Amino acid sequence: MRDRVIEAILLGALVVLALVIARSGSAYVAQTLFNAALAILLAIGWNVIGGFTGYVSFGQVSFFGLGAYIAALATMRLALPWPAAIGVAALGAVILALPLGLIMLRLSGIFFALGMFGLARILQISVSAMRATGGPMGMSFDAAEDPHICAAVMLLVAAAALAGTWLMLRSRFGLRLLAIRDDAVAASAAGVHVWSVKVLAFCLSAALAAVGGALYAWNLGYLDPSSAFNGTIELQSVLMVTAGGIGTVWGPLVGGAIVSGLSTFLWARFPMEQQIVLGGLTMLIAVAMPGGVMAALARGGVLRRAPIWAPPPAATAAPAAKATAAPAPTRPRPDRPAPVLRCAGLGIRFGGVVAVDAVDLVAYPGELLAIIGPNGAGKSTLFNLISGFARPATGEIVFDGKRLPRLRPERLARAGIARTFQTSRLFPSLTVWETVLLAALSLHRNRRRARTEAARILAEVGLLAHWREVPEALPPGRQRLLEIARALALQPKVLLLDEAMAGMSAEEIARVHAALRHAMEGGSAVVAIEHVLPAIAPLAARVQVLDFGATIAAGHPHAVLNDPAVITAYLGVEMEGATDAAA
Amino acid sequence: MLTVITLAILGLLWGGVYLLMATGLNLIYGVMKVVNLAHGDFIVLGGLLAFSLFAEAGLNPLAAFPIAALILFGIGAGVQFGLLEPITAAGSEGELRSLLATFGLSYVVANASFLVWGSQFQSVPFLEGAVQAGPIAIPAGLLAASLAAFAATLLIHLWLTTTITGKSLHATAQSALGAASCGIDVRRVRLLAFALGSAMAGGAGALVITLIPFQTSTGGELTVHAFTLIALGGLGNYAGAWLAAELLGLTEVFAQFYLGSNAAAAVIYVVFIAVLVVRPQGLLGQAGRV
Repeated sequence: MRDRVIEAILLGALVVLALVIARSGSAYVAQTLFNAALAILLAIGWNVIGGFTGYVSFGQVSFFGLGAYIAALATMRLALPWPAAIGVAALGAVILALPLGLIMLRLSGIFFALGMFGLARILQISVSAMRATGGPMGMSFDAAEDPHICAAVMLLVAAAALAGTWLMLRSRFGLRLLAIRDDAVAASAAGVHVWSVKVLAFCLSAALAAVGGALYAWNLGYLDPSSAFNGTIELQSVLMVTAGGIGTVWGPLVGGAIVSGLSTFLWARFPMEQQIVLGGLTMLIAVAMPGGVMAALARGGVLRRAPIWAPPPAATAAPAAKATAAPAPTRPRPDRPAPVLRCAGLGIRFGGVVAVDAVDLVAYPGELLAIIGPNGAGKSTLFNLISGFARPATGEIVFDGKRLPRLRPERLARAGIARTFQTSRLFPSLTVWETVLLAALSLHRNRRRARTEAARILAEVGLLAHWREVPEALPPGRQRLLEIARALALQPKVLLLDEAMAGMSAEEIARVHAALRHAMEGGSAVVAIEHVLPAIAPLAARVQVLDFGATIAAGHPHAVLNDPAVITAYLGVEMEGATDAAA
Repeated sequence: MLTVITLAILGLLWGGVYLLMATGLNLIYGVMKVVNLAHGDFIVLGGLLAFSLFAEAGLNPLAAFPIAALILFGIGAGVQFGLLEPITAAGSEGELRSLLATFGLSYVVANASFLVWGSQFQSVPFLEGAVQAGPIAIPAGLLAASLAAFAATLLIHLWLTTTITGKSLHATAQSALGAASCGIDVRRVRLLAFALGSAMAGGAGALVITLIPFQTSTGGELTVHAFTLIALGGLGNYAGAWLAAELLGLTEVFAQFYLGSNAAAAVIYVVFIAVLVVRPQGLLGQAGRV
């Protein structure tokens, strides 16, 4: 709370100071301020896609140029006043960014970055070829009359964008962005619509860049393709964000102030060497201080990211509440429940390897099915097929009485098929609280309800006291527990646990058992892959054994474990004369 | 019909030059999993060095080719040692940081070249006649450059596949951990790979400047060219790289002829994006999860 007040006062003071200077200073001062605020706005826009979403782009200048041209054409051809033209530019950029995002966001890493670079060049070449835009020579139009007003407007817009990201990082949208940046697969397992969140972030980033472009055109009164799609603008944004701190709210402002000050100075004194110095600085930051200024500050405890919402005070006040005191089951359990999940003949092959071969699997509400089998038996692949992370080549899945069409993992997660991963996939930059809240928000639109649920589940697995910590700070067993809690927050009808209890202490296993019992009392079906059978045996109603992708035994735990085929699969066959050879 | 055949031959010859560009980048990406965004600027630098060698010392581009390659070898080694090796972070953070580092590097190289050579287009005149094959005339310069590029690529390919050092590069590309546990000095291999990749860029530049004029800002475009080749060919796939180089050469030559040079530049980018979106694994095979 105190941090928020400090941050708000800081921001307000900066804006007032800048406005005073913009109004009273000379035209040169106003122009310098305009340039700095524009650069900061672009850096904020770049940070939304490059920092928060993790899609580093080398072509956000595309939208800067588009915004500039759209606004200029709107004033020239449609005789719109500038404020309306700026709005049209933002809207136009979003309309164009939507299909572009759908295409470009299919790329990842470097290929997204370079694809965006290519996009900027395509646009530059196209605009040069158009007559309406004046071709390569560019076009002039009526500019703003008073540079002081221009600077003031620019400052207010940049401040609004900053406030916007500040708010965004405290919203469920921001939470989802951070989760996707950390681990998109885990985010979709937590029910996040990864695709739409990414596209939304892309459009938002495009809109900010377009507004910047429109204001640039308004200020200058002249546009040509090589300055509107200028790569230096990109370099500056990237440098500002990384110098300040990538993926932080204040990074673009801090980095922007430093870099635009520096580049203004360089431009005045060493115009030829300006870009060499800026490029060298980018190299230096990449090598020596990757987190930028904000990381250094955060290490000192200043302006650290505040957790998104907090558990309800009542929940943290009573940390000792036992799991057994949990509310009544949400779904009554009939005497002979119909299966909630039925897989028939599921199969998939990778190249020549048949990973899963015509496997049948049935899970009943309130019951735990243990899946065991040697390494490489196809257990995890089977889970991938059920939870939508891989597409079965053969067979069908009937869930909750309906045949499942091919759905994305997040749809399945929201529908009630939750999973954990064999090697934990947690979000390094989300706290324990945020991790579970993320999943709870996939289910509950209501904020209060989601908070209550997340807090309840954390209390149940005994992690509520650690709600402020990041996963890295937890011992491995607790990290596993957190992953189970994330899955439980989706109130699954089917819970798929992939070796969830590997490496847990006895106390942690007891916690998991209690939580699973509670979930099963509520009508959940649990399917658990385990290597260590005692960890799961007390809860298992049935055991199914896989080997080489096929079921080799199924039934009551005791019967299955004494099955000769199972013993062979685990221990191998004693060969005639094998002991002699060994001797 | 004659035009089409001539264009096809020109395209295939251009493919040789592209192959040299792409093999260098393939080597770097394969061994280090690092993308060098300054690759195009290295190509331009190699070309401009060849220009100076010609203008100041009257050196033939074929003689300048090894010299430019050698100088870029040294620069590449320096960059690897001073810039990329110190970035030790793994995973996506390491990727981001090396990306930023080479992004900065590309501006440093391009603008340093600008200070030395200025902003005007430079080119090196070389074998300006044509070789007549029946009714078809092939520019002798292109033929020579293409043959030199093919020869250099072939030599490096042989070196990679037959010598122990070459094989250790190969091994490191497939698994750095595996290579290290076989006693290979992975740091040394990375240094060698980056230096060699840069040398190939420099050599390619010395050849290309005889064909198209260079400006210091051409680098970004050439980087995308090289990446298009990698994306098209699939990572570490030499047959794929060759096929991709030929295809890109053909695309470029035909687009230049029928659409004009401005549109041709746009076509390359469109191909680049389309390939990435439609076949992210490259034309041949399934290699290269990126």
